[in-house]
Amino acid sequence: MKSARIFVSAVLMSCLLFLSSFPANRGPLSLIRIPKGPDLPSRALSRLQVDVRQELESCLLALADREDIARLRRNGVRFSVLARNAAEGDILVVRTDSPGALAALRSAGKAVVVEQGTAVFWTETGSPAEAVPAGLPRKVLSSRTVRMGFRPAASAARPASRAVAQDPLIDMIVDLVSTPNLSSGVQSLQDFQTRYASTSNCEASGQYIYNAFSGLGLDDVRFEPFTFSGSYSSRNVVAEKTGETYPDDIVIICAHYDSTSPPASRLTLAPGADDNASGTAAVLEAARVLASYPLDFTVRFIAFSAEEWGLYGSRAYATAAGLAGERIIGVINLDMIAFADAMPEDLQVIVNPASGWLADRFLDAASLYGPLGATKTIDASFVYSDHAPFWDGGYPALLAIEDDPLTNPYYHQTTDTLDKLNLDFITSATRASLGLLAELAQPLREGYPKTPVGLAATPVVYSSLFSALLSAVRVTWSAQPDAAGYNVYRTNSSHLDYVKVNDSPVVGTTYSDADVRMDLSYYYVVTAVGATGLESNRSREAAASPSISPATAAIRTLSLPTLGGGR
Amino acid sequence: MKSGRCAAVFLAVLGLAAAARAQELSVSLAAGYFRASEEAYRGIYGPSLPFSADIWLKLRGPFGLGAGVATLGDKGKAVPMGEDGAEYPIKFRRASIPVVVFFQFDLKVVDIRLGAGMCAHRYEETWATVDLGFKGNKVSPRFFATASAAMIGRLSFFGSATYDTIPTGAGSPLVNEVNLGGVQILGGISFRIF
Repeated sequence: MKSARIFVSAVLMSCLLFLSSFPANRGPLSLIRIPKGPDLPSRALSRLQVDVRQELESCLLALADREDIARLRRNGVRFSVLARNAAEGDILVVRTDSPGALAALRSAGKAVVVEQGTAVFWTETGSPAEAVPAGLPRKVLSSRTVRMGFRPAASAARPASRAVAQDPLIDMIVDLVSTPNLSSGVQSLQDFQTRYASTSNCEASGQYIYNAFSGLGLDDVRFEPFTFSGSYSSRNVVAEKTGETYPDDIVIICAHYDSTSPPASRLTLAPGADDNASGTAAVLEAARVLASYPLDFTVRFIAFSAEEWGLYGSRAYATAAGLAGERIIGVINLDMIAFADAMPEDLQVIVNPASGWLADRFLDAASLYGPLGATKTIDASFVYSDHAPFWDGGYPALLAIEDDPLTNPYYHQTTDTLDKLNLDFITSATRASLGLLAELAQPLREGYPKTPVGLAATPVVYSSLFSALLSAVRVTWSAQPDAAGYNVYRTNSSHLDYVKVNDSPVVGTTYSDADVRMDLSYYYVVTAVGATGLESNRSREAAASPSISPATAAIRTLSLPTLGGGR
Repeated sequence: MKSGRCAAVFLAVLGLAAAARAQELSVSLAAGYFRASEEAYRGIYGPSLPFSADIWLKLRGPFGLGAGVATLGDKGKAVPMGEDGAEYPIKFRRASIPVVVFFQFDLKVVDIRLGAGMCAHRYEETWATVDLGFKGNKVSPRFFATASAAMIGRLSFFGSATYDTIPTGAGSPLVNEVNLGGVQILGGISFRIF
């Protein structure tokens, strides 16, 4: 009897030991709101391993288990619990700044205001994406921890007015944009009657886009299927023109092709001409024009589905891109670019703080190639279109939209049809978008030297115990056989306002830039100069900042307050 | 400054009170070797030569009080991360004022003291050729052992081993948070006043 007890005890102990060897699962998750503030740097949150699922202008939304909450409390991070037992994927961020929006949302499920004009929404049963009242823009929370943008690193202020020059090749490219093509593109999509995601018509319109891409001779055209809101499925349509110099560096132009209208009609009639056959037609037209031009960088033309449900298509795409470690230079998202309430209509360009450069470049392209007026707005809370999942992934992305707040009276109505649109406006918006796309992707020029590759910028830092000095930045690149020399360009604001730093073309493949300061970041590009003086396209940008230097693993956290401190 | 004066007056009063009850009063002068705990410190400055002057008050019984002043100065070169052939000489100075309590073992040939206390440090690192530098203050714990052996009359050989930990909370690309502490071994003489 005694030996049997010993045996049973031993078995139980073994079971306990075996079970305890498995990593502990996270307990029930709560949705918490963490207000942003100067005392809450993103680095601190990363250190605390906070699972942030949405960054907004004034706060962060995160999922936290008991252990996370205890850790936040221990570290003095202020937060409030919005929902206990919050299941991932079942929570939406909803725009509630229109009259009656919040009351309507609260009558449909659980809603909590997280900042002015923004609420989180979930339901205890059923799909919250289907429960959200029609007409309210919404976004599902990211399916993985977001990369926070906060404010970009300090850089020199950009001059209010700058001289920007038109590139004759890009001007020639944008001149190929055809208004009749745009018009027929919108009409074709509208002719599907509805493109509401989950309907067979939506899938048929995806097939139409696939066929249109396939007829252009692009390098790759594919469907990327995904599931959303439980049991539904749909497909993104992705077409690629692979870059010849930098095939792994990607520029994206995208739009959603699904549509919606009031619940009673959306399964049968949701023409969505402005929202968003207009953006999709522009993407198709950009693909048609660029298809015949060899480019330095890869361009992806993407038509997303299930945007109207809560950005499910772009979320699936951006999540996969992040997991694959794809290098996305920038994303141009076109959503409603054809309705003009007053002429001349201008385009609103909405970015988060980390994507500011992309908006600046769009504004330049709009004035050069639209021609079109455009206004830049930095608003991390404007997360209601397909650019937002790219923000979540830490990628620069912009939204180009006709108005914010929207003035189109046919928005999400069965009357959103081609006859309400302004074809001059959509043409200018497409020309501006294509101009920026071409500038970023860089068409190759016959007779010009090849674009330099292999660029690296390494800061040379001298460090004592308490201080550090950036002595120089050493820029290196690979030799190009057709180059007689090289020009080195530098900026403190990534992708903007490069200034040549060498007096005469550099012979060799190294340049040491000694005119540098420790408190600034530096970004370099290099061009090759041919024997006849022709200058190539710019190389990929290389960044040099003491805090992000790969120069040595010994460089850990740059403690700026100690630099020259105490003197 | 006012608080510094108050502390000095307080220590003086404490010292006088202690002296009144003192059984033995001695002073020591010593120099020796300092090995920093921080690898980066050792890489830049190598081993250091510290100096110290201390006063020791043995009270009735085995306990006593000690105080003093110590300095340490070093020269080195900033560590390059990358290559461009430049050199940046740097200097480091530290001044310390310890206040300690000790337990004394009076053996036949040597007296051994074991003790601990607090030490106020003022430190400064300067770059010789560029306008860069850093100053700081820190009060931190100190642990020590001394030994003294009678030599001639009131003179004794004196030796000490001291451990300090001085987390500064500041750093650079080279090291996140510099700890200026370490171990120092000193040798010198001690003079017994009474």
